[in-house]
Amino acid sequence: MKPTRLRAVLTATVLVPVLAWTLFPIYWIAAASFKTELALYARPPRWVFTPILDNYQRVLYNIPFFQYLTNSLVIAVGTTVGSLVLGTLAGYGFARFRFRGSSTVRFLVLVTRMAPRMVLVVPYYLLMQKLGLLDTYTGLLIAYVSFALPFTIWLLIGFFVDVPLEVEEAAMIDGCGRLGVLLRVVIPIAAPGLVVAAIFAFLVSWNEFLFALILSGVEAKTLPVVIAGFSTDVGPLYGEMSAAAVMVMLPNIVMTLVLQRYLVRGLTLGAVKG
Amino acid sequence: MRGGAARAGRGFLLPGLLFLFAIDLVPLLYSAWVSLYNWWLLRPRDVRFVGFGNYAGLAADPEAWRAVVVTSLFTAGAVVVEFLAGLGLALLFAQPFRFLRPIRVLLLLPLFVVPVVGATMWRVIFHPEVGVLNYYLAQLGLGKPAWLSDPTLALVSITMVDAWRTIPFMFLVLYAGLEVLPAELFEAAAVDGASRWQSFRHVTVPLLAYIMLVALLIRGMDAFREFDIIFVLTGGGPGTATQTIQMLNYRVFGLGHMGMANAIGVVTLALVAAMCLVLWRAVLPPRREAAPERP
Amino acid sequence: MSRSGKARGVRVGSWVVVALAALAAAIPVAGPPASAQSKTLTLSMLAGFKEDVLRANLPDFEKKTGIKVVIDASPFGDLYKKQLLSLSTGGRYDLLFLDEPWVPPLSEFLAPLDERVRTLDMSDFVPTTVASGAFQGKQYALPVDPNVQLLVYRKDLFEQKGLKPPATWDELVATARAFHDPTKEQYGIAITGSSDIQTALYLLVSMWSQGAELVDARGRGGVDTPAGRKGAEIFLELLKLAPPNVRSYAFADVNKAIQLGQAAMAIQWASGAKPMEDKTRSSVAGKLGYTLVPKAVRQNPMRGVWTIAIAKNSANQDAAWEFAKWFTSREFGMAAVRYPAATSAIHSPRVSVLQDPGTRQILPYAEALLDSLRVAKERPRLREFADIQEHLRITVAKLTAGELGLEAALKEIDAGTNRILGK
Repeated sequence: MKPTRLRAVLTATVLVPVLAWTLFPIYWIAAASFKTELALYARPPRWVFTPILDNYQRVLYNIPFFQYLTNSLVIAVGTTVGSLVLGTLAGYGFARFRFRGSSTVRFLVLVTRMAPRMVLVVPYYLLMQKLGLLDTYTGLLIAYVSFALPFTIWLLIGFFVDVPLEVEEAAMIDGCGRLGVLLRVVIPIAAPGLVVAAIFAFLVSWNEFLFALILSGVEAKTLPVVIAGFSTDVGPLYGEMSAAAVMVMLPNIVMTLVLQRYLVRGLTLGAVKG
Repeated sequence: MRGGAARAGRGFLLPGLLFLFAIDLVPLLYSAWVSLYNWWLLRPRDVRFVGFGNYAGLAADPEAWRAVVVTSLFTAGAVVVEFLAGLGLALLFAQPFRFLRPIRVLLLLPLFVVPVVGATMWRVIFHPEVGVLNYYLAQLGLGKPAWLSDPTLALVSITMVDAWRTIPFMFLVLYAGLEVLPAELFEAAAVDGASRWQSFRHVTVPLLAYIMLVALLIRGMDAFREFDIIFVLTGGGPGTATQTIQMLNYRVFGLGHMGMANAIGVVTLALVAAMCLVLWRAVLPPRREAAPERP
Repeated sequence: MSRSGKARGVRVGSWVVVALAALAAAIPVAGPPASAQSKTLTLSMLAGFKEDVLRANLPDFEKKTGIKVVIDASPFGDLYKKQLLSLSTGGRYDLLFLDEPWVPPLSEFLAPLDERVRTLDMSDFVPTTVASGAFQGKQYALPVDPNVQLLVYRKDLFEQKGLKPPATWDELVATARAFHDPTKEQYGIAITGSSDIQTALYLLVSMWSQGAELVDARGRGGVDTPAGRKGAEIFLELLKLAPPNVRSYAFADVNKAIQLGQAAMAIQWASGAKPMEDKTRSSVAGKLGYTLVPKAVRQNPMRGVWTIAIAKNSANQDAAWEFAKWFTSREFGMAAVRYPAATSAIHSPRVSVLQDPGTRQILPYAEALLDSLRVAKERPRLREFADIQEHLRITVAKLTAGELGLEAALKEIDAGTNRILGK
């Protein structure tokens, strides 16, 4: 079924409105970051305008933005690493080792994420208070890995299950232990799944607000809390909020650009056998 | 399964499971226990055991029932729209056209916008009098819909914003799932003379079933507990038209009524668990969770 | 599967756990709460421009007293929650920046300041602002940033029509009608009609003006009365003279309506008035007049003062008191109103600051603010008030959305008040 020119054109045509809808609010946020509030509400709406840098200036100079950025980065990377390590192991375990009650355990893993987050605020707060981990990286890391892990596990189970058994068996016949099979055969094939899990875990941590607010305050404060601070008692500060949001988006974009080359079809049966 | 294999399996599973259950199950049990008490943060010494009193209070409150309805409507609408759109986009991007690759990242951008900011800007866009959306709609002669002040439109608006934000995620998961599938399967099906639709239905869907289930579950659970977007866009209004269970929970929690807040949490958990079980059984009937037979 | 394979699996698992533990330990852990050390105070503060003003002036305090202040700022929507959680579980704040309705519920965690206040000259404070920190006869907090509802109007539009700003509520309705012209996108008045708390507060101030009370002298709900009904009817009438989508309007939208020249008048808090004078946000900066909220039987603009309080379990109460004094001082007040913030900075509760000519130039509404503060009315000072207000909010939301009729809504408000107060 060779892709035809017609299909290419049709695809492009469908994509235009999709991209427009997806990107318009992003453009609006980016534009707002370079406009005054009055200009933001100008009618007719101004698509071309002279940008001002005041919003960025206010965000970068009035608050220790880079400290919060560092906090967010450290915690997000830590969350991603922690979730991936634990999640890959557990995901593989569930995918390949069936035991009695494995479905129930799998469901229990998900149950931990079924309660509204708010409900966990007080127990987490008390827990971190007792452990002396309030306002620390470690405290937030523990919380965020526990948020990201259930979905990470389920995601990776799904991807690991789709890796053909024959490939693994072939590798084991060649003398690979289970862990070796996981590392050298399964992960490369399921690489797109790991990319998704990584992006997911990173985003869980990067955008999380409630627990960052409650469990941190001064030292480990993260960006979402700062951004929430732009919703003031007299309404949102659109310009500053947008400038902060744009800057907050950049690491995510970089990460995705780096990871996206793994988002492709992995090794095939043919490649391994040959 | 052999004993040796079982123990190896445990080695893989234990670290993650131990961590998870230690950190998460204990707070959940604590939460369920608190829900049996009448604990108001403002009166820390006046805590009384009330058994199922909080739950009875919820069951008797018409606002709570309305919240369940609103939440269900929102969740169902959001998940269906997002799943279908995500699947469609994933299939679109699975085609081997060169120009698609750089566009992938563009599609993911809404995921990178902090939810509060995204919702705030959508509120700016939706502003009925001075927002840009209604400006162009008025120019096209379509009037100025009351996006946030009409009860039905408000529900549509929050679903739209949620979809904007989350379709990229569905797309990402399903697209990655498609990419993991070995190409030989499709070639074999094509050689056997299967049409594109048959190939999709009988090769892609069964293999992708687990991933689709995961995507549905994750989205369903998150949509049920969605808060930020609704809070910023409508605050639960107009009236109680968009007041979800989470909004109710937020109100009660904000006043320091921990017993009732936790009761709402437990009820939410039960509803979400029921929803997940239904989805699980619907997408993956029992005994078909292992990798399907090769053609 | 071979035995070595299984052993390998378990060993891997254990190494992972060890590695993670090492990783966690290697990450620097922040130091212990600052209040454990002396001469460092932890302040729970509102994030935003108020925080900015404080930070800008804090070096003066630190230089003068040698006391360091660490600011833990939270967004407006979450500050109360965070303070409540912290205080009720043993807390680590020395000082708290509180909105006045939070003083009664949090009072049991706050240190009474009566002894200390006796050593302070309170004559410069607008008397009603001092009351905002009191509860059941004890003083728990000092006023820092007074806020009160004002009537904002477009001086230029009024001059064009030769009208004077309305003095009574009936005049307000008539004046709004005179300006209301939807075809030209001109609306009589900007208020809120959404499920936002402001909507309930507008209704309340209208009811107050007619003589009704949310909680009457006997401690029972008092809005289901002829006075309450009249107040509600006037409020509902005003909704018709507001922009058509007023039912989705929140605090910021009232500002937008004025800033973009759509509304001829607005009832808005003084904190929202400053952005109306900001040229980068408002197209009518300089064209606005300010006066008191209209009267009927009474004239009762609603008061909302931000206060500073000391935690009862703070280990640094003397140092905290030094900060509180400085934070409410004339020097800080003068510096605060002059801080180049485009939005709500900190107004001062001191008469001398509000009457100062320099202040009057920077804040065109300073005179209206002072006059309103002198006659401002407070919301009921009860521990349970947050619950009563929340119930009021949701009932008014149902009223404006059409889910409840007027009679039913009034009864529902009182029923809720009585239920919460256990009557």
